[in-house]
Amino acid sequence: MVEKKFKCPDCGKVASYSGMHGELKTIYCPYCGSKGRARLPELKHGDDLAIEVSDLRKEYGDLVAVNNISFSVKKGEIFAFLGPNGAGKTTTVEMIESIRQPTAGTIKLIGKNIKTHFNEVKKDIGVLPQEFLSFERLTVKETLVYFSKLYKKRADIDEIIEAMDLKSCEKMLYRNLSGGLKQRVGVAIALVNDPDIVFLDEPTTGLDPKARRDVWKVIANLRKKGKTVFLTTHYMEEAEYLADHIAIIHKGKIIAEGTLDELINRYGKGSLLRIKQCKTEGAVESLKEKGFTATYESNGDIAVKIDYKDIVLDVLSNLRHECIEYESIDVRRSNLEEIFLHLTGSKLSEEET
Amino acid sequence: MRVQVIAADFIVSIKTWLRSKGTLFWTLAFPIMLILIFGAIFSGMGDVEYTLHVQDLDDSEMSRGFIEGLNSTGAIKIEIVEPEQNVSSYIDEKNIKRLIVIPKGYEETINKSFIDQNAIVNLSFYLDPSEQSSNQVVMSIVSSVIQSFNMKLSNGRNIVGIDEISTITEDFRFIDFFLPGMIGFTIMQTCVYGSIERNTKFRKDGILRKLLTTPITRTEWILSKMLFMLFLSFISTFLIILVGVLIYGVTVNINALMITTIIATSFLFSGMGMLIGRFVKEEETADTAGGAITFPMMFLAGTFFQLEMMPPFLQTFARVLPLYYVNESLRNAMIYMNQSEAILNTIAVLAFACVFFIAGVLLTKWKED
Ligand SMILES: Nc1ncnc2c1ncn2[C@@H]1O[C@H](COP(=O)(O)OP(=O)(O)OP(=O)(O)O)[C@@H](O)[C@H]1O
Ligand SMILES: [Mg+2]
Repeated sequence: MVEKKFKCPDCGKVASYSGMHGELKTIYCPYCGSKGRARLPELKHGDDLAIEVSDLRKEYGDLVAVNNISFSVKKGEIFAFLGPNGAGKTTTVEMIESIRQPTAGTIKLIGKNIKTHFNEVKKDIGVLPQEFLSFERLTVKETLVYFSKLYKKRADIDEIIEAMDLKSCEKMLYRNLSGGLKQRVGVAIALVNDPDIVFLDEPTTGLDPKARRDVWKVIANLRKKGKTVFLTTHYMEEAEYLADHIAIIHKGKIIAEGTLDELINRYGKGSLLRIKQCKTEGAVESLKEKGFTATYESNGDIAVKIDYKDIVLDVLSNLRHECIEYESIDVRRSNLEEIFLHLTGSKLSEEET
Repeated sequence: MRVQVIAADFIVSIKTWLRSKGTLFWTLAFPIMLILIFGAIFSGMGDVEYTLHVQDLDDSEMSRGFIEGLNSTGAIKIEIVEPEQNVSSYIDEKNIKRLIVIPKGYEETINKSFIDQNAIVNLSFYLDPSEQSSNQVVMSIVSSVIQSFNMKLSNGRNIVGIDEISTITEDFRFIDFFLPGMIGFTIMQTCVYGSIERNTKFRKDGILRKLLTTPITRTEWILSKMLFMLFLSFISTFLIILVGVLIYGVTVNINALMITTIIATSFLFSGMGMLIGRFVKEEETADTAGGAITFPMMFLAGTFFQLEMMPPFLQTFARVLPLYYVNESLRNAMIYMNQSEAILNTIAVLAFACVFFIAGVLLTKWKED
């Protein structure tokens, strides 16, 4: 939370308001009641930011894989970089990890420019590359011990095994593990140096739903430990379930960014109440008369926009009062899939529908 | 550079290797199998065509008749040695396996034998004792010719006989030739394929990318892997020598030149593998490329047979192949004890090693584009 003083442009008196860093707020002057909007100051660079990326660009010949993107990730949050195949997620994350050379732009990790200081921050980051496969003929535990020996700062291996739920397979050879377990071991490897920032590039791609959920649990655990997580994914539920902050990347550009709520409020249709199989003539008209935003959907269902949660009850009592007959109702919030469709005109991922 | 990191990585290599039946087979069992098989084939057969050298000091009708008799069996190839040649130095120089000398006075003695019952004449038969089996074949042919001669001359009384003389020349057997070749070949295979795997599979699996984000340096990694390659090279060398000594009685000299060559060879072919892995990114394709380079090299560089057996243009070509110098260096150092040749060839191997290894290290990178 931060507090900021302001001088009311109408009455000239000085007052203050408070909120989150960078938050856009509607403020009222406590003296004259006039209304205005102002943004609370952004955090000073480096104070609270784990990753700062500005004007990052990567060209492959004529192809611009990453097109001048800028964003920052706060310490301790799970940041999801969401985008379809070929959007430029891996290119971006591998530039941040200093695996690929940017064409232009600057990247700072914990306030340090990686172009000059990457070796200093190696100890503070843990990386799971996309489609990573570890040494086939080492056991899980041996693998973790090996990677931890590369560092001076080492986390307790047994603790990691416990936290990543790998106890039962610690003596198994890596090559004999299922895909989900391999990914969990990959996450565990990224933790052997007790890093501040963990990069996970599509940690659940190709896993079945159960294995995916197990990996999610493991990632959610990282937040509890106070780690910053940079997660790339093309599964919108993954971003919805895990992320504090989401950036949607499409064709090398960030097309939307914010918390899930912000994104839904800004780009989504909000929440809709659907009345299914309504048999009563003129139902939409009667709802409209009462001031609801109601429309027929293509399949004949009625959709009512829910601006605040109490509207649901109002709509329901109205339906009853007007004796409108219907088979069932459901309330659904806009999701990232819809937002992506809205922003790009294409589906985020074919597999998800 | 941190020793613990190198040690940790080295241990991982060894563990991984010990647990992979496939690589264990290719690095240990395969060379042993090859040397057993080839050793058995070649020492059992000897020369395919049995050559017999004959020196006719008598130059008479009788002696020519005897040579004609040997020739007419069709089983042996007769080579005439000029009478003025000194037999023992000739055998040494030309590496002759079998030589018969028909002494002067051969005809005269036979003629005399019709009157003098005690007159006999012995042919001197020089034999290389290491050529046991082929000697037996030739000896039985020669005996039968002599017997039929004796039969004709005297109704079976032994007028013509044989004096067996064993020649101890500085002759080397096939196995002596093959053993150092086997060592060079095995080290080549191990290092080329090991290096290719690290530069293709590890790249594809993201291990190289992962390592880039950890504090291990490329120097530490390469040092550890070279240590491992040397470990494998010395193990294979040891096993091949063990089989050679115990089973085939090869006399092997272990000296500084030989060890230098083995170390340089490991660096040489690791560098070559890095280069292959650098330019052929797909793991399977790179393996094929590795085979396409090492296999012809194995044949052309004189691993299995002497360069002299190949057409001249191939012999010239062999002289640009690094494995040729490895073979020559190891042979001269371990078997022939030819110091000056060994030194020259070792220097050539060292030069190749510098070029390939440095190029390999400089041209391969962990970073992605
Ligand atoms: N080394 C390269 N050379 C040329 N083009 C590349 C290279 N790497 C990536 N690209 C291109 O850059 C674009 C972005 O690729 P990138 O791998 O970053 O996508 P992604 O979002 O990670 O996709 P995915 O979900 O498939 O992993 C793609 O069009 C890809 O073809
Ligand atoms: Mg990717």
